[in-house]
Amino acid sequence: MPGKGRRYLMSESKPQKVKIRFPGDLEYIPAVRKFVAELLLVNQFSSKCAYRSEIIIDEICNNAVVYGCRTADSQVEVVCVMHEDRIEFQVKDAGGSETDLKRLRDAVAAEESGVKPILDGRKSAAGLGLEIVRLLSEEVNVEVDDNNLTSIRVIRRREDAGTCGEKKAV
Amino acid sequence: MESQIELQSEDIQGKANAKLVRFIGDLDATNVETVIEKTFNLLNDGYVNIIADFEKLRYVNSTGLGILLHFSKSAKEKGGSFKIANVNENVYEIIEIIGATSLLEIYDELDEALESLG
Amino acid sequence: MADIRDIRIECKQSDVCPEVAVVTFEGALDSGSIQKIGHSFDVMLEDNYIYAVADMARVTLVSSAALGELMGCRTRLLERGGDLVLAGLSIGIREKLTAMDANKVFKFFNDVRSAVNAYNWEYHDRSESLNLSFPSKLTFVPPVRQLASRIAKQKGYGNRDSFRIETIVDEICNNAVEHGVEGDENTIELLLTIDRKKIEIKVMNTSDPGKINALKEISKSLFVPHILSDEVKRGRGLALVKMLANDFNIECSDVGTCVHVTKLREE
Repeated sequence: MPGKGRRYLMSESKPQKVKIRFPGDLEYIPAVRKFVAELLLVNQFSSKCAYRSEIIIDEICNNAVVYGCRTADSQVEVVCVMHEDRIEFQVKDAGGSETDLKRLRDAVAAEESGVKPILDGRKSAAGLGLEIVRLLSEEVNVEVDDNNLTSIRVIRRREDAGTCGEKKAV
Repeated sequence: MESQIELQSEDIQGKANAKLVRFIGDLDATNVETVIEKTFNLLNDGYVNIIADFEKLRYVNSTGLGILLHFSKSAKEKGGSFKIANVNENVYEIIEIIGATSLLEIYDELDEALESLG
Repeated sequence: MADIRDIRIECKQSDVCPEVAVVTFEGALDSGSIQKIGHSFDVMLEDNYIYAVADMARVTLVSSAALGELMGCRTRLLERGGDLVLAGLSIGIREKLTAMDANKVFKFFNDVRSAVNAYNWEYHDRSESLNLSFPSKLTFVPPVRQLASRIAKQKGYGNRDSFRIETIVDEICNNAVEHGVEGDENTIELLLTIDRKKIEIKVMNTSDPGKINALKEISKSLFVPHILSDEVKRGRGLALVKMLANDFNIECSDVGTCVHVTKLREE
């Protein structure tokens, strides 16, 4: 699970996993993102971490609904796994066109140049959202599984990882 | 139905073409319509200088940011301005991450934004 | 259906809802397009469509004359009990339409699919489902009940109904944690199915062999008329659920428990 050059703490307690599947409609996303944020808060993640995670879930789910949900019954699945030192999110959708998949891969594969993305009118709102996800996460991967479901997997470390006994209060 | 957002607008003393608009709640893809309608109505009614008070704006995503940038552009095209004040730390971080701090007029305090109207 | 050449207007049946027509516009809608706009709706009405979604994603301009024509088309549909809504508007077009007060006449949707889903919701009692699984721990219950409440409000249920739904979810989930097998590896499954008239809540969990008999006793007592008093130590939560819900069913077995509740929309 650790990404390139990154080490994560070996957790003693078992990861907590929550899975939610909801209709592929934008109107569900506010409730889902707030749910994820609240999950993190009740599991002793900091409010800052919860807020940033809320943004991540919002942007990825928006993308999933707009580009990955083609039929009336399309659904989006969000899996949230809370480890001692990190959170993993996975968002799955039925998948869009090949063009959408390429766009998605290009958006999350952009090199970290240390220069902030320039808003010059050429970047679409969709690209902007994934750019924010990339900048807020340690790892972002796009996968297509055997059932042709597109999934974005994101890992975000806990801000206060390593500060034993000093976890921020809810 | 949409995520909760409310816009409250007030006159600004001594500035006939300006309005103070307080944003309350979350700004995301589900409620941009409400925000667009209210803000563009003001711009089209001649209130080309808008001060947006974000003190009670808890959350904004990329769609919301896109709308704010569009307001800024529209106001400038009409010879006015779209200024933002009292941005909370979390919202500011997102604006900063995407590099919009140089594209939006952001003030720490509402008074500063009001004074900048001249 | 019609495919009117040279003016980039295409009408077709919705893929997901046969009685909805999707009218796709492309390019600039100006005074020169009025006749063609009107004709496309003539054809649509001849084909007996009364509900239409205008896909405006590829529209670059809407003049006041063209907007007036669209309003006229909508009036024709309204007279037949239908409607015309607009979908996929860019920010620039939205701005222009708002300046012309079109938002006071037309409903705007983010895309065609949302518009069709809204139609199904309103006219065909379309139901939507949300599945959730979470660890069998009390700390997870507050976010879960708030999720249920927010979903209900999002779908147009009133504050009172949403609060009752939150209470129902809270009590059932608390019960599932209390009487089920606790721990990281055990999950509670929640299924919410909501439509315009009601919400169904189903909660399933793994039974704890040491607790199942107590739960079975509580379940039996729920269906026997009695007054909750200080002597009743347990079962108040499910009793409350039974009072708030319109339909209540609980199945306990040595393997698992399933609580199924229906709450009608009152507001």
